[in-house]
Amino acid sequence: MRLRIIVFFLIGLLIFILDVAFSSEQDSKDIYISDQELTSLLSAWQSQVGRPPNDEEIVNIINNFVQEEILYREALLLNLDEEDRIIKRRLAQKITFLKQETVPEDPSQEELKEFFEQNKGNYYVPETYSFSHHYYSKESSAKEIATKAFKDYQINGGELKGDPFFLGKNFYQNTANEIKKNFGELFFSSIKNLPVNEWSGPHESTFGYHIILLKEVKAGFSPPLEKVLIKVQQDYLSEAQDKAIAKYINEIRSQYRVVINPDYKF
Amino acid sequence: MVGKMKLSKSSIGLIIVSFIFYLYATNSFSIFQRDSALEIVDFSIENSSVDTDIPSNPYRNPYYGDLHVHTKYSFDAYIFGVTATPYDAYRFATGEVIKHPLGFDMKLKEPLDFYAVTDHGFYMGMIENYADTSSKMSKNEWTKPIHNINRPENVTVESTGERADLFSSVLSREIINKPYPWWHPNYLGAWLTNNIQLALTSFDYDVHKSAWADVAKAAEEFNDPGNFTTFIGYEYTTSTEVEGGNLHRNVIFNSSNAPIRPWTRIDSLNPEDLWTWMDNLRGKGVDSLAMPHNSNGSNGQMFEVETFRGNPINKEYSEKRMRNEPVVEMTQVKGTSDTHPLLSPDDEWADFEIMDKRVGSRPPTYSMPQGGYVRDAFLRGLTLEWEGRGNPYKFGLIGSSDTHTGAGAFDENNYWSKVGVLDGTDMGRGSVPLSQDRIDQLTQYSIDFNQPLSTKEIEGKTYADVGFDQWGASGLAVAWAEENTRDSIFQAFKRKETFATTGTRIAVRFFAGFDMESIDLNSEDMIKNAYAKGVTMGADLFSQANQTPQFLVWAQRDKLGAPLQRVQIIKGWVETASGTPKEKIYDVACSDGLVADPVTNRCPDNGARVNINDCSISNDVGAGELKTTWADPDFDPAVKAFYYVRVLENPTCRWSTWDALKAGVKPRPDLHETIQERAWSSPIWYIPDSSDLEIIPL
Repeated sequence: MRLRIIVFFLIGLLIFILDVAFSSEQDSKDIYISDQELTSLLSAWQSQVGRPPNDEEIVNIINNFVQEEILYREALLLNLDEEDRIIKRRLAQKITFLKQETVPEDPSQEELKEFFEQNKGNYYVPETYSFSHHYYSKESSAKEIATKAFKDYQINGGELKGDPFFLGKNFYQNTANEIKKNFGELFFSSIKNLPVNEWSGPHESTFGYHIILLKEVKAGFSPPLEKVLIKVQQDYLSEAQDKAIAKYINEIRSQYRVVINPDYKF
Repeated sequence: MVGKMKLSKSSIGLIIVSFIFYLYATNSFSIFQRDSALEIVDFSIENSSVDTDIPSNPYRNPYYGDLHVHTKYSFDAYIFGVTATPYDAYRFATGEVIKHPLGFDMKLKEPLDFYAVTDHGFYMGMIENYADTSSKMSKNEWTKPIHNINRPENVTVESTGERADLFSSVLSREIINKPYPWWHPNYLGAWLTNNIQLALTSFDYDVHKSAWADVAKAAEEFNDPGNFTTFIGYEYTTSTEVEGGNLHRNVIFNSSNAPIRPWTRIDSLNPEDLWTWMDNLRGKGVDSLAMPHNSNGSNGQMFEVETFRGNPINKEYSEKRMRNEPVVEMTQVKGTSDTHPLLSPDDEWADFEIMDKRVGSRPPTYSMPQGGYVRDAFLRGLTLEWEGRGNPYKFGLIGSSDTHTGAGAFDENNYWSKVGVLDGTDMGRGSVPLSQDRIDQLTQYSIDFNQPLSTKEIEGKTYADVGFDQWGASGLAVAWAEENTRDSIFQAFKRKETFATTGTRIAVRFFAGFDMESIDLNSEDMIKNAYAKGVTMGADLFSQANQTPQFLVWAQRDKLGAPLQRVQIIKGWVETASGTPKEKIYDVACSDGLVADPVTNRCPDNGARVNINDCSISNDVGAGELKTTWADPDFDPAVKAFYYVRVLENPTCRWSTWDALKAGVKPRPDLHETIQERAWSSPIWYIPDSSDLEIIPL
């Protein structure tokens, strides 16, 4: 019984030694060029030059391929591929593209709808303000003049009379960003809290003082999906691609352990 | 055998040659030939947008933008380490953060209203393709120096020398412009489609077309009528055949329709051929305009008094040029081209951001100022017209950045210059003394690439000396348009109702007429009346019974910049008797209630100062806005003249001073410590009443 085990063990050892001694080196010196490879080499040449190659050119194409393959294998034997950042990045890029392509081409209506609901903020149409203002230029003692003019107006009625403002008097449906661009942050922070249809002031800006009538605040709104469908589709796809890569990396990552010298001085 | 005629070989040859000559003479080749540069593609994409009516202002709003932006598709930008896409560039313009090649954030103080990515047309997209070692092109031996040049670990200041040298070898045709042998089928293809590029081994048409299509797609995706405007565009990067006179122009299209490929310096170096192409496109319904830039670095060639081929300028040339080039980019990172101290010795503000080297010259070579600055060009235009040859230099003014990182640097206090890795650090720009390892690198660079010494000693300290110290944080293009839409802004450029700024958001109105002084400057209807009673910037004012013209100017400060110091009107004319060009500068409005001296025409000092130790400025002086009317005291009704406005801010620190302050060193003593940010309006031309005057509508 024990003898039989030893015999099997010895036979196994013999096969292993024979295999190591004779086989391994040999087949790696063959360069096998498949039919598909040949076809793709030749058609690449044709698409670049515009006609099929002649016999001499075919010989050259194959020689170039063989030469490249030989150099590549010799480089592998010398382990030149290890620790080469360009090769690493190229391979990482390839697998990234591969994983990106696993995203389904056309998302379903439900998927789009769900995505849209989750990211409604990105498609929000911001609120707008319509207002008129009387402007008192900083050149004069603007604040006192503006205050007095506004008091007179409140007591006696009549018309307010200020200086002309560079961008005009009436502003229709301006967004917060537009108001900040035209008047500055300070002005916007006062206008956004004003009551509607009531003159008030003076409010300061970089340019002087303003008495403001806020006429209308049009609330911001989320447009229905149909109105922004194409943008939603684009955004969905690009997010799906990012997600696919992140998911893939996360799945694999747990199998890796990262070791960094804790004493390294950064 | 009688009567059998036998044709000799030579007579058959003669018949074939005559037949070809006949085809040529009767222009029959056009049957076979097709012009690929005139193939129109509709790049429009289906943009879903929420219906809101776009507000329109009949008295127009100032819209601020940049029409000169390069991304990774430009041959030089890619070599400078830039990998930003046109999409990144547009994101930046709308206020988002994008990364500089050296890793820091780039963000605008305020978003812009319009933006155009204008990559170099020639070899657009090709360098990136050479660098990609999986591309067909990269198999060529000569692409090796470019392989993987922008791998992350190589985008460093240490790679500066390598990049500067690649830039020159591309420019000097060592790397590109390698033609196929004459018998190659691509030669026939090139001829049949009138596309010389196809005959170059260094060129891949598919790569080129897809880069251009991507530029167009980005523009279409970001164009948002009412909020943000983009233009499909590119740079036609041509130069004179000798001495490298820069003749660069940007081309923008007023539509989603654009040619299938940009028309480039490979098609022709002659700008007149560019205009012919643009005229042909206009015939097919695609309107475009070209904007020359960096005339300062053209060695006087941009505004020459003769044509590219050395012929005298005639009316036909003048009309063709003005039809296609209504505006000129007069300020950008590579210097300001208003005027030069040698050309305007009486202008105290002429020495402003002067870049006196030829564009792209290595070693840096002096650029002749005559013919390189816009004020001089306006005068030359008057002289040419006086000689009866038309006025080819009757253009409006804009600024832009010419950034090569996708992101314009407009702010002295937040400046990254424009050529990526090369000038992304203070040491690289020459504003801060070099560390020893940077000195060694620059010395090695001079030795390796046979260049003159690239460092200079100033008061015992060593600085980089590669020309970036003459560059500046400038500029912006501003259009007076009814609404922020592509067509409205494009029409403003065609009317020349535009102004240029050095990156600041100054705004300026400018009108001329014979009844401007009757307008109440304190009335709400001031602008309505000014439009009704006169003409605005960029237009002609025709004589009315020899009356003296009156001008109305209104300038508003940048709310985030320094207050205004003064408003000037610059006048140029040609003395009738002698034909001598003349210029004169009038201060027409002064801040702080000051009044200009009637003899010197200068405002008194308003007392604004800059503290160089922390770059703080006087807060209590200067104006939020300046407005006035003005009549020319030296007016001669018989003399043709132009008038344009220059608005000056109080002084502030130059970017080089900010760099030094942040690095904790003294500012470099030979550079200007402060500058005065400014804006220039397009001119208004006064046209005298004259019986023999032929008016050419432009």
